[in-house]
Amino acid sequence: MALYRYIERDTFVHRLHPTVKVIALFVMFWSVYWVDNPLALLPLGFLLLFAAFVTGSGGNFYALRWLFIILIISTTLMWMATYQPGPAAIHVPKVAIRRASIIFGLGKGLKLAELLAASVLFISTTKVEEFTVGLAKLRVPYRVGFAISLSFRLAPLFVDSALTIVDAQCLRGYEFGTGGLIERLRRYTTVSIPVFMGALRKANNMAMALEARGFGRLSRPTTYIEYPFLASDLMAFAALFVIGLLYFLIYWTGYGAVVA
Amino acid sequence: MKLEPQPSETEIGAPSAAEVATPALSASNLRFTYHDAERPALAGLSFVQAQGEMIGVMGASGAGKSTLAKCLNRIIPEFEGGVFSGTVAVAGRDLTGVRVSDVAADVGMVFQDFEAQLFSTNVAHEVAFAMEQIGIDRATMNARMKPALEEVGLAGFEHRDPTSLSGGEKQRLAIASVLALRPRVIVLDEPTTDLDPEGKAEVFALIRRLREQGLSLIVIEHESDELRRADRVILLKEGSIVFSGPPAELMTKINLLEECGVQPPGLNRALALLGIGGHAASVDEAYAAITRAYPQLASRTHPTIAPAIAEPAVEATLPSPSTATSDAPIAEIENVTFNYPGGPRVLDSINLAIAPGDFLAIVGQNGSGKTTLAKHIVGLLKPVSGAVLLNGRDRKGMRASETAKEAAYVFQNPDHQIFAATVWDEVAFGPRNFSLAASEIERRCIEVLEAVGLADRRSADPFLLSKGERQRLAVASVLALRPRLLILDEPTTGLDYREQRRMMALVKELNASGIAIVIITHTPWLVAEYARRAVLIRKGRKLFDGGVREFFADVDLLKASSFRPPEVTRLAQRFGTIALSPQEFAAWVKERV
Repeated sequence: MALYRYIERDTFVHRLHPTVKVIALFVMFWSVYWVDNPLALLPLGFLLLFAAFVTGSGGNFYALRWLFIILIISTTLMWMATYQPGPAAIHVPKVAIRRASIIFGLGKGLKLAELLAASVLFISTTKVEEFTVGLAKLRVPYRVGFAISLSFRLAPLFVDSALTIVDAQCLRGYEFGTGGLIERLRRYTTVSIPVFMGALRKANNMAMALEARGFGRLSRPTTYIEYPFLASDLMAFAALFVIGLLYFLIYWTGYGAVVA
Repeated sequence: MKLEPQPSETEIGAPSAAEVATPALSASNLRFTYHDAERPALAGLSFVQAQGEMIGVMGASGAGKSTLAKCLNRIIPEFEGGVFSGTVAVAGRDLTGVRVSDVAADVGMVFQDFEAQLFSTNVAHEVAFAMEQIGIDRATMNARMKPALEEVGLAGFEHRDPTSLSGGEKQRLAIASVLALRPRVIVLDEPTTDLDPEGKAEVFALIRRLREQGLSLIVIEHESDELRRADRVILLKEGSIVFSGPPAELMTKINLLEECGVQPPGLNRALALLGIGGHAASVDEAYAAITRAYPQLASRTHPTIAPAIAEPAVEATLPSPSTATSDAPIAEIENVTFNYPGGPRVLDSINLAIAPGDFLAIVGQNGSGKTTLAKHIVGLLKPVSGAVLLNGRDRKGMRASETAKEAAYVFQNPDHQIFAATVWDEVAFGPRNFSLAASEIERRCIEVLEAVGLADRRSADPFLLSKGERQRLAVASVLALRPRLLILDEPTTGLDYREQRRMMALVKELNASGIAIVIITHTPWLVAEYARRAVLIRKGRKLFDGGVREFFADVDLLKASSFRPPEVTRLAQRFGTIALSPQEFAAWVKERV
């Protein structure tokens, strides 16, 4: 399993300055935050899909297709059940489904899906080293920036380790899929302990290896790759500014809200 | 290639006169006791390394090897908690009080866990990482990048993702990133432990090249064979040096090596058993020594070994393969093909039957499909085509938990299985999942803990056990389900010689009790001395399935699959026979002289 989902391509997005990429991720999160209406979220969704297509990140999106689907459907259903403003649009025996709850639920589902999509796109087009540089340029201390970028890289490793542990316990007759929700969650404690112990051990080994390579010696290490800030970065920055502003205006004017 | 030391940019192989006079490294009276440990890990250890000297450090697990390595670059006492005293100096500079990161440019460290020392998204970034950390400018980084990668044989790999490299390549990359720093001393802490034979050979070939260039190296290893080329070997026992001198001298001290938990070289053991003694650095040297002592054997030499052994060695010591047993197979793999979605084929039309009482070794390079094959047997993977039968029943219709009573699988890393608070609870976990009566669970726990030698540790915290004990606990935890087939994935990785022997003695006993055994291993002597049947997998295809003796006789097959027989087996082949252990070879010689 790959530690990190970066896809080596030479596209416009790949070539962007690391700082612009970090800002782009922030702008996506910012824009999604302000609106709930699915119609207002759709342009952002199309933009992310288009970016996924042109950057060749489709494989990473496809690998997470079920997560996207589950995220949208389960969030929609959850909000439909808990948020019920206005008159019922559809009457099923014992259940009143409201138009606003469908739209609101779908909006929440799309929001989460777009947050995930923005993260996947960022990971697909940004090297760990660029992420660290991008954060450093934004005045995040090098050690903190490196730790954040490293955690992105290590998450899949721990998932891989957890899956192996699930396999190991299944082979000892342990049934993870039986019982109620609480019972199932309780059963996963058998996985969390080895994962946690493994993570601690791995983190300790990695910390030693990092220091042994000189990590922490300088507060601002040199960089092997030079990242010049080009006109294209300026243009991208401007476009991101417009997107961020636009979504704030959608919120400000009330078009981003779901009205019962 | 020219590797240049710091601070001057001159060749490391040609130190100045002043540098030659100064030791590369000196350790004086190193003592360290880990928190809560009863005895010191290092008990007043001192040595001096000359410029350009290669020192091999050997010893059993817990002898203090890794602790020593960590002291040399200040990981101890900076990282590890405990009581430390003593001094380390590099090129005359006392490191007392210096931070680990400030030592990086002087003492390069390569760790056993190659996964934990690669942080970057491509090879070039990985090599550059350490240089960036110590503030080397971009032009110098570029100038050092190519020579470092060329030296380790990874030139042209600059844009490759490190995770896509093989184990040997990953470890060579870790070495390249250290080389790029041009440190005065390079410490390699068991760099080949987790590698397959090909990866090991790659790394040791690189170490030999670095030594020829005059780099100061400290190589820590379990295995004695590869340290024969060191200038000096230090043997540790309980934190103290029990031997320091030329490898040739140590390698003849068979009893001392065994006493210290180190596997003596098979060739020297064979010579000792024959009463010839001395040190043989190669099969050729051993052959020459034997034919000098017993000239009549020289006429028996055959240039190659025929696949069918005309003259088998000491038949009584190893039974023939059990493939011909009349019992119905426990597991049958019928024409199984497998690939991950969108990925290349991992298994290609594999057929295999495992009979009761079998002792089967599955060998092959990393990525050849060995573990994938084993996971099909226990149902962790499902074939794309073909079928897996357990006890005559198609696995498709069985849950993974149902398999547990038929076939058990012990993962390479025992820590993937261990989670309970005590050894007892860990073993009882499996039987409890099958809702067995408390008395039955207790009976099984007692039985298996006795079998694996952990009866007196029943209340211990599993995570505080040694690696060897954790490995045995992992075996016990699946044995409690009384499977008919036990599959062990690399059961001896990370164990020292003594622990390996103990582990394999346990496996042998289990096999004698009727449990069919499948081991996945890279260790040739384990296959030779313990298995009765070998299966060779290469690129998902089964290339060989038969007796171990026939397997080691097929020189062409072994060569094509980069699987090197134990040295003593190669020595026996020079005499036209097959011997699977030094004892067997010595017996064969004695019968004929």
